Amino acid sequence: MLAMLLLGLFASAQQRITGTVIHKETNIPLVGVSVQSKNQTAITDSSGHYSISARAGENIVFSFVGMKTQILVAPASGNLNVTLESNLSDLNQVVVTGYQTQKKADLTGAVSVVDLKQVKDVPLGNPVKALQGRIPGVFITTDGSPASGATVRIRGIGTLGNNNPLYVIDGIPTERGLNEINPADIESMQVLKDASSATIYGSRAANGVIIITTKKGKKGATRIDFNSSLSTQSYQTKLSVLNTEERGRALWQAAINDGVDPNTASPIYQFQTGSQNGKPVLEKVILPQYIDAAKTMKPADTKWFDEISQVSLIKNNDLTVSSGTEKSNSLFSVGYYDNTGIVKGSSLKRLTARINTEYRMLNDKLTIGQNFMGTFSTGTLVPAEDIVNLALLSQPIVPVHTISGGWGGPAPGMTDRHNPVRLIEDNRQNKSRFYRVFGNAYANLQVLPVLTLRSSIGIDYAGTYQRTIRKSYTSGFLSDPSNQVNTSQDYSGNWVWQNTLDFTKNINKHSINVLAGSELIKYMSQNFFGSRQGYALETIDYAYLNAGSSNKDNGGSGAANSLFSFFGKVNYVYDTRYLLSAIVRRDGSSRFGSENRFATFPAVSAGWRLSEESFIKNSQSFISDLKLRYGWGITGNQSIADNAIYDLYSAIYGTDPTWDRDRGSAYDINGGNSGQLPAGFTKTQRGNKFLKWESTTQSNFGIDYGFFDQKLSGSIDYFIKKTSDILLTPPSLAVIGEGGDPTVNGASMVNKGFEGVVNYDGKIGDQVSFSLSFNIATYRNRITRLPENSLTAFPGNGNDKVIINRSVNSFYGYVADGIFQNKEEVDNSPAQNGKGIGRIRYKDMNGDGMINGDDRDYIGTADPDFTYGFNAAFSWKHFDLSFFFQGVKGVMVNNGTKIYTDFSSLWPGTNWGSRTLNAWTPDNPSSTIPALTLVNRNDEGRFSTYYLEPGSYLRLRNVQIGYDLSYLSNRIHIKRAKAYLQSSNLLTFKSKKFTGPDPEAPNSTYPIPVIWTFGLNLSL
Amino acid sequence: MKFHLYILAGLAICLLSCGKTLDQAPQGVISGQDLNTPENVEKMVIAAYAGLGNDNIHTSFSLWPWGSMRSGDAYKGGDSPGDNTDWHNYEIFSGNRPELGNTDLMWYYLYIGVSRANDALRRVNSLDSAAFPKKKIRQAEARFIRGHFYFLLKILYKHVPFIDETIAEKDYGTVSNVALSNDELWNKIADDFRFGMDNLPETQPEIGRANRSAATAYLAKTLLYQAYVQDDMNNVVSINAQKLNEVIALCDKVINSGKYMLNDDFAKNFLTQFDNSKESVFAVQFSKDDGTPKGRLNMGVALNYPMNKEFGCCGFHLPSQNLVNAFKTDKNGLPMFDHFNDADAKEGADFTGNTFDPRLDHTVAIPGHPYKYSRFIYEKTWARAPQIYGYFSSLKETVAPDDPSFQKIPPFMSSSKNTDVIRFDDVLLWKAEALIQLNRQDEALPLINAIRSRAQTSTARLKYADGTYYSNYKISIYQPGVNCTWTKDFAWKALIWERRLEFAMEGNRFFDLVRWGIAADYLNSYFTSESTKRVYLKDAKFTKNKDEYLPIPLNQLNYSRGVYKQNTGW
Repeated sequence: MLAMLLLGLFASAQQRITGTVIHKETNIPLVGVSVQSKNQTAITDSSGHYSISARAGENIVFSFVGMKTQILVAPASGNLNVTLESNLSDLNQVVVTGYQTQKKADLTGAVSVVDLKQVKDVPLGNPVKALQGRIPGVFITTDGSPASGATVRIRGIGTLGNNNPLYVIDGIPTERGLNEINPADIESMQVLKDASSATIYGSRAANGVIIITTKKGKKGATRIDFNSSLSTQSYQTKLSVLNTEERGRALWQAAINDGVDPNTASPIYQFQTGSQNGKPVLEKVILPQYIDAAKTMKPADTKWFDEISQVSLIKNNDLTVSSGTEKSNSLFSVGYYDNTGIVKGSSLKRLTARINTEYRMLNDKLTIGQNFMGTFSTGTLVPAEDIVNLALLSQPIVPVHTISGGWGGPAPGMTDRHNPVRLIEDNRQNKSRFYRVFGNAYANLQVLPVLTLRSSIGIDYAGTYQRTIRKSYTSGFLSDPSNQVNTSQDYSGNWVWQNTLDFTKNINKHSINVLAGSELIKYMSQNFFGSRQGYALETIDYAYLNAGSSNKDNGGSGAANSLFSFFGKVNYVYDTRYLLSAIVRRDGSSRFGSENRFATFPAVSAGWRLSEESFIKNSQSFISDLKLRYGWGITGNQSIADNAIYDLYSAIYGTDPTWDRDRGSAYDINGGNSGQLPAGFTKTQRGNKFLKWESTTQSNFGIDYGFFDQKLSGSIDYFIKKTSDILLTPPSLAVIGEGGDPTVNGASMVNKGFEGVVNYDGKIGDQVSFSLSFNIATYRNRITRLPENSLTAFPGNGNDKVIINRSVNSFYGYVADGIFQNKEEVDNSPAQNGKGIGRIRYKDMNGDGMINGDDRDYIGTADPDFTYGFNAAFSWKHFDLSFFFQGVKGVMVNNGTKIYTDFSSLWPGTNWGSRTLNAWTPDNPSSTIPALTLVNRNDEGRFSTYYLEPGSYLRLRNVQIGYDLSYLSNRIHIKRAKAYLQSSNLLTFKSKKFTGPDPEAPNSTYPIPVIWTFGLNLSL
Repeated sequence: MKFHLYILAGLAICLLSCGKTLDQAPQGVISGQDLNTPENVEKMVIAAYAGLGNDNIHTSFSLWPWGSMRSGDAYKGGDSPGDNTDWHNYEIFSGNRPELGNTDLMWYYLYIGVSRANDALRRVNSLDSAAFPKKKIRQAEARFIRGHFYFLLKILYKHVPFIDETIAEKDYGTVSNVALSNDELWNKIADDFRFGMDNLPETQPEIGRANRSAATAYLAKTLLYQAYVQDDMNNVVSINAQKLNEVIALCDKVINSGKYMLNDDFAKNFLTQFDNSKESVFAVQFSKDDGTPKGRLNMGVALNYPMNKEFGCCGFHLPSQNLVNAFKTDKNGLPMFDHFNDADAKEGADFTGNTFDPRLDHTVAIPGHPYKYSRFIYEKTWARAPQIYGYFSSLKETVAPDDPSFQKIPPFMSSSKNTDVIRFDDVLLWKAEALIQLNRQDEALPLINAIRSRAQTSTARLKYADGTYYSNYKISIYQPGVNCTWTKDFAWKALIWERRLEFAMEGNRFFDLVRWGIAADYLNSYFTSESTKRVYLKDAKFTKNKDEYLPIPLNQLNYSRGVYKQNTGW
């Protein structure tokens, strides 16, 4: 019996289980993971390796700070590789908060941590774009333009000038955004939203701060990570425009409506008009043999949008090599991004390289390291935005090419715009070369066990070199027999020197941390260009300045500014329950006069961790975290022209007068008609030497909560953000002349808002785990004070209608009150210049029986009711699935494209939108589109509610399915592998009342493209 | 530990010394004070002159969109009434509104001209005449330029804020457009020209500068406008004889200076190679190949070229059928005052079967006739929207495509040809106008006849290679008792006609009509007859006591916060 038992025992005897533990998001081996079987505990070594004895079938627990704990069954094979994923709700997570790091549990400000695993495979080229909708209170807008960046607004619009947040990359502040950062290099990303957390960054932090930390080598074996993805990008929605025959029909209808003979309405289209019940009917649209007098262009039915667009291919590859020892670590990465562009001929190729290293010496008391990034990119200078726009404006009857193979172009009766295909072909050889170097070198010295001194020198420089040839052309009635080569270079950037002293001491239950430091930033930019004309060859190989013979021109300019700051911060924690933090920062900016140069920005915040109190800890054990936070602080803003305090003149000799007036001061006083001219100076600015810092005072009330061992967690924040002395340059009374009115410290405004986020992590059975996350945010904006000097900067009439107590995003215009259906309605309505049957009726707001500028009023705001996002992620065996919805609710947008899609009179020489076919006629009285006409008698282009439309939308921003191939690691020499398929912007739900292609980018001709991506992540 | 202290001390020293780093000099710009040297003040006067030509495709300082297009002489043109709708609204008057962008833009650009003149003037004033011997002359030039811009503002908007160099910039917003009465505002403008007359030399070393005669002539023009006294409703209620006498005296000063004479050929006034001719009293100087990006070109007329291969855009400012008919002459070679518009002269035989004043082919491009005296024949296909606006186009402001002064600036084009602000023929006709109004029509006769004689001989450039003329020209001078009876009424009719033909398409006509108080009647009857040929003019209507002047731009009314008052009728 005993023998039997012993036998049985030995049947499931202890065996060695071995394997490697890897970080799921970074593929890096985890060192120090606790591995627990029933009767043994082991720790992973420097290469993430572990070995433990356990019985097959027994549970083994893998746990690590900041990671979700995994419980797995010991396999009979004895080999068990494990991946751990980070746990954002983990309270021990370390967060970068400004010149230092803090535990998440100790935070008192409104800080959001980005869940990178949700966004790391999104192929948008710009890491910020991937954050859209994921962080409450961070409102990101983009359009589908290949070149576009992203507009980031944290907690609404806080000021009138620059509303961009400050980016801090490895401690170095920059305003350049993240366009040129390789997303694969990012280790963590945090957003500081309120003043109590952002004030430490002082000036430029008033709009919030986005903190990026790049990856470092980790202790352990050398690793190689390789990520590769291939994406296609294409338009699924676009403006629907008329074809050649439809353009003729719309024109005929407009002429008939005007009582004009349709055959005189256009030099090209002719019509056969019949009659039915006494009404004219269109029997046939007759096209001429040629559309131009020179007989070079036959009528076509060109689909211009198809001619200029293509399915774009994005290739993204990056390779990271890292290693670490006890005394040093290093990381090297290269990334290559190649976007062929959705507009033919446009492309962007970008190479990024990074080296991060760190050395520890003197018993780890001295750390010296550097983070360094270089970016080099080449883009073709095809004017993609113009081209998309022109593709919508060009009439379909114009052929791409003439009968002899030359360029088609506008014919009589058409607007003087270029053939977009020609613009592609004549510019595709022109390239812009861009570089940016960014990084810092630092030294940390532990002076005393409690005192650390840190000094860091950072650089952020960028430059562009362009050499372009403008070819001669003939395209319809447009032609230019001259060619021109232009070579230009610019160079700009800053260096930053930071010094900090950090004191940390724990005495019993008191934990105190003091930081003091200084920061000095010097910025400069310089540029120049040279151009010549008269080139014998129009090839890029010939296109150097020396080869040109005539019209030599050149120019150049520069700018500079500097910032200098002292700051200090105290964090105090008592018994992990009571948290207190205070900041003071004194900022100086070269942009202000000597009296107002410096300003002081304080902040205080406090937190109370209720969950650590015994009355909760002991009796309400389902509460794993509960913290109340309050923060108050002031941040500054100095984003005005470098020289706004000065009265300035420029030696402007002459400017290009094609579209705008010449601003130059040269004059042919001798009547010579050519040659060098005497010249003077042009006033460019009126100075205001009393300018001072704009400041934003923000209060934040927050709750962090977590239940059931952080399975359910989240936070709620309410803020009040008051901006005063807003720096603005109001439009001036014309009599002041050039240079305009000076910049002033003007209006005040307040933003109040709410943000909430809730996360839930759960399991269905043993196999399926999931995590859900929902966020919502809203804000209300109001102008609270409007001194006289800033009245003209806001919508309104300056007298009885001023924006005070309204949102800065208010729309001011006429109220469109339907369409006049019959003569009686026209006759009985107030006097309205150009009114008539089928025309828009405007509301007589002041009841004076007359429609004029006084009838404009505030007709809506562009502030959404709220914005929201919902992310769901599931994993099952080797599969994982995630999708992310993002939406905006209750927003009004100015759909400016209606000028083009709804009217034949506002831009008569172009093609029009398909909506014109459904315009009002006596037989179609229910149409909301005014009757077609050739002359805009009623001034319907005036801004009115006709152009305001609901812009709410809900978009399936991302959906991704992944398959983990790591189980192959036994067979091939890899540590980990994963393949995934993902799609961006696959589905959009929008209001039926929105008539444009994309409510997210209502005034851009670029719809947001749909992107499909297949990718592979590999670790060796 | 000592080592650490050194580091800390070093850091502290550096931090303290870093305060200076915030002194940042502006880059590549110059402050207002640095400009107060004689050399730089000279340059600021040049900058004020440069303002004369810094107009834009939509805001021609030649005033054609206001003075010519709204006078019955010209249509807007372009591809349709919807092309540059602001202009269409000007042309039909009924569509004009205080919020039109071009009304605001023009106001702004004209005030830039004023502000450059004031800026230069303040700087000239600040210099000692010992250090700056030309102080008086430069003061007078700056005031001449200022007077010019105020004159344009005055005839466009009637009531405008008058700001001179004595008003501090911070007080600009307090100056109302009705602070001065109509007459007081004219006096201020006249003062600037009077100062010029009293202080400018008879001849300037640089041809582009204003001289004594230019100021004298501009003063005459100002007083001529002022002489027709308007009430608050823009009605001409009386004519000031004393002002007219002054006009005559001033014109005589210019005539007797001996500096100016009529060119032998009318064409020379519109050809670049004759820029600054004996007939040009004051002109805006343009240039090309001058080191500026595209040249300092006459952008105000850049849309006025026809749509052929050599030009290509944009076909604006087209002579009306009424204007072309007005060049017809009767069997005596005199204008067909009453029956000129009975039949239309459109093309081909219309121009050989009737007789015409030769100025027709200097003014109007006619299908089949050479364009601008060149080898290029103006074809019907050069017209952009003939079904709406007919086939004619304008010649005076353009140059031939092979002219050396021609310059393409795609999609537009223009030239470095000067624009005359004051020409000697104008001076002669001002004097004639004043004389007739003073019942001295007999003295006006030789002046009008001088103009007609020159027109008569201006046919040398209007010949084909075989010696035949483009059109059938027949023009004679007025010979009382022979071909006419020279009464005051007849002389007045003759003067009005002569001004129309001599300055057709040059941007004056509408302001003449308003000055004479006949704009409403004249234009409404023009719209009635012309709308039978040009359907879009059915919408046109001139509202008396309103449309004589543009409205004060809505933006300016708003920005002034009640300081400015809207014009009557708006």
